[in-house]
Amino acid sequence: MKRIKVAVAGNPNSGKSTLINAIAGTHLYVGNWPGVTVEKKTATFKFDELTIDLVDLPGTYSLSPYTQEEIIARDFLVKEKPDVIIDVVDATNLERNLYLTVQLLELGIPVIVALNIFDEAKKKGYEINITELEQLLNVKVIPTVATKKEGIKELLQAVKEVATSPEKFRPRKLDYGPDVEEALKIIEEEIMKVRKELFDTYPKNWLCLKLLEGDERVLQDTGFKGDEDFLQRARSHFIKAHEEDPESILAEMRYGIAHGITQKVLRKKAGARIDLTQRIDKIVLNRYLGIPIFLAIMWFTFKFAFDFSGPFSDWIDGLISGPITRWATVGLNSLNSPEWLVSLVTEGIIAGVGAVLVFVPLIGIIMFLMTLLEGSGYMARAAFVMDKLMHSIGLHGKSFIPLILGFGCNVPSIYATRVLETERDRKLTAMICPPISCSARLPVYVLFIGAFFGTKGATVLFSIYILGMVMAIIVGFILKNTLFKGPTPPFIMELPPYRIPTLRDLTIHTWLKLKHFLIKAGTFILGASIVFWFLLNTPYGVEKENSYLGKFGKLISPIFEPLGFGNWQAASSLVTGIIAKEVVVTTMAEIYAPEKKEKKEEQITFSEEIKNICIGFISAFGKGFSNIFSSFGISSWEVEEQPTELQKKLQEVFTPLSAYSFLVFVLLYVPCLTFAFVLRAEFGWKTLGQVLLIYLILPWITSFIVYQGGKFLGFE
Amino acid sequence: MKLSELKIGQKARILSIKTTGPLKKRLMDMGILEGEPIIVEKVAPLGDPIDIVVKNYHLSLRKSEAEKIEVEVIE
Repeated sequence: MKRIKVAVAGNPNSGKSTLINAIAGTHLYVGNWPGVTVEKKTATFKFDELTIDLVDLPGTYSLSPYTQEEIIARDFLVKEKPDVIIDVVDATNLERNLYLTVQLLELGIPVIVALNIFDEAKKKGYEINITELEQLLNVKVIPTVATKKEGIKELLQAVKEVATSPEKFRPRKLDYGPDVEEALKIIEEEIMKVRKELFDTYPKNWLCLKLLEGDERVLQDTGFKGDEDFLQRARSHFIKAHEEDPESILAEMRYGIAHGITQKVLRKKAGARIDLTQRIDKIVLNRYLGIPIFLAIMWFTFKFAFDFSGPFSDWIDGLISGPITRWATVGLNSLNSPEWLVSLVTEGIIAGVGAVLVFVPLIGIIMFLMTLLEGSGYMARAAFVMDKLMHSIGLHGKSFIPLILGFGCNVPSIYATRVLETERDRKLTAMICPPISCSARLPVYVLFIGAFFGTKGATVLFSIYILGMVMAIIVGFILKNTLFKGPTPPFIMELPPYRIPTLRDLTIHTWLKLKHFLIKAGTFILGASIVFWFLLNTPYGVEKENSYLGKFGKLISPIFEPLGFGNWQAASSLVTGIIAKEVVVTTMAEIYAPEKKEKKEEQITFSEEIKNICIGFISAFGKGFSNIFSSFGISSWEVEEQPTELQKKLQEVFTPLSAYSFLVFVLLYVPCLTFAFVLRAEFGWKTLGQVLLIYLILPWITSFIVYQGGKFLGFE
Repeated sequence: MKLSELKIGQKARILSIKTTGPLKKRLMDMGILEGEPIIVEKVAPLGDPIDIVVKNYHLSLRKSEAEKIEVEVIE
């Protein structure tokens, strides 16, 4: 049985992912390209007697050496030498898409053009002469409608045909004109003389073209300097003729070929209907309506993501901490397990699994919404509307969305950074998310504000949120001038036509992301939860003060002395707050005002329990929907009433100033375990290390300034 | 004149790109080529970036990039 490697290339917005989903669907695996944060989709499946390894290359407009996506795509094509390239071409935008096709043909690998979005092109009154296009490019051209799975079989059939007799489908050399041909001949002859072996690694024609262009990466890889005598000789005469650099001349020639072919094969019928995209944009990008519409869409996204997912997360939480914990306890008790083991299993392992699973509804819905915004074409408009504002703080227009989601939860923010085009923007945006105050920090604020600030509470709360935003901007500014030094990437972005994404695309993408979260982040979160259980509960049965947590708290408490809360109780609470910020409150309650655990033995039968679980799940739908339509505000994240007992204790230990300093610290230090491990899954250990460092130093400095400055100004 | 100075709805032809290296290549890859007709469709609500039509599709650019593109008005 034959095994072949197929690469899928194409412009962004050419329907490439939809086509991949239609071809490989459930076989898809999503990961990252090695060492970078660019998504890589792969699949292995059988077609007739053929085993196909499919690799989705990043969507690119060209194969220049300047963007990460383009470098990945061309490196793969040159080094991995796939047997066939499927080039996804948007039939409604033929010329610009063929510009990439021309470059793919330079590689000498058999190409099959999937002429996608063929239905829309027909509707627009475009007639494309496929036979002529096939002849001009000397490749197979298959019309496809990926959204309707049309042409997929024919496409795979073509792959099979090409793979069985590759020589027949070797692309013909395109004609760049006598000047270029002359120059290429000079280079080829010289290489044959001095570095013949290079032609074993690189496609001949492609290498000569790249050397002629003076392509930085190829020069670097081959060890040429770029100013060798033969290269200068090759360039000299046609530079004189064109007064441009070779790279630009060749770009113009390639577009010239694409233009010429388009002219020959494309007929536009007159009287086509008015462009729907243009009509929508008249409203959506309107000078006065643009921003309100954007804010309304953001508000719905936010509501839907957090309020709709809330009841489902609550249901999962209830299921894990209720019935499942009870069953495990009963089971372990019946085996006469020691008390500590029951605690480890229920409070360490099962609770750890729960901590991962409660994020599933939220991440699922966010991914669904982001794919919807991206696939519909609105995301580009959002960037267009917000770019001026975001650019003023050195970010891309699309950064706004991840940052605003951060107010609900920082974790989906990391996933939402996927919408950004460059790694720099993705990392930078993710790294400035933590100071955006998520809803899990609210219980801590409420506890302290209730105890110390009374009528001034609203102002204090507001000041904390503002401080978070200011800090995000400051960190962004610092990072831009240190880690991300260099010019801001240009904002040259296509505004693609509006399209309705298919439900299949949305669900496949959401599922792939969730799987990635469960495997790549979930396992770490579970592991860390178990570590924290040991920290909190060993030696088993001792007072909190003598647990490892208490000891650790005591050890590090001097660090917090200059910030106004140098006691082991506060320090320990901050440590457990790394699990999740709201845990600060629970730990404080346990330390300051321990409640005797009353064991309530409820007698519920198994079948009743199952019934309750089902009812709970169904009512979560009801709650989710009613939350969306309920009044303004984040209803599902209500703050539970705190025992005043705890607040009284806090009043003995903290002053208003040290309480405020504590809140500033809670705002700014590392958000939570889930954030940390999702960040690692998406960006790697190094970025996680940098984030941990920043958000341990920054809160200390800020709290220090707040506390010492406040004291200096006479506050208490 | 510069592309950034064009008014909404004005048609123009690209004369040259006054920059080099990656930015120039990127602009050319997107179809900003000498002689190409171009039209400014929209300006973002906050005044920047702009939305142009080139090679029959919509492209948005910041004014700072549009400044580097020389054009002549044709209509």
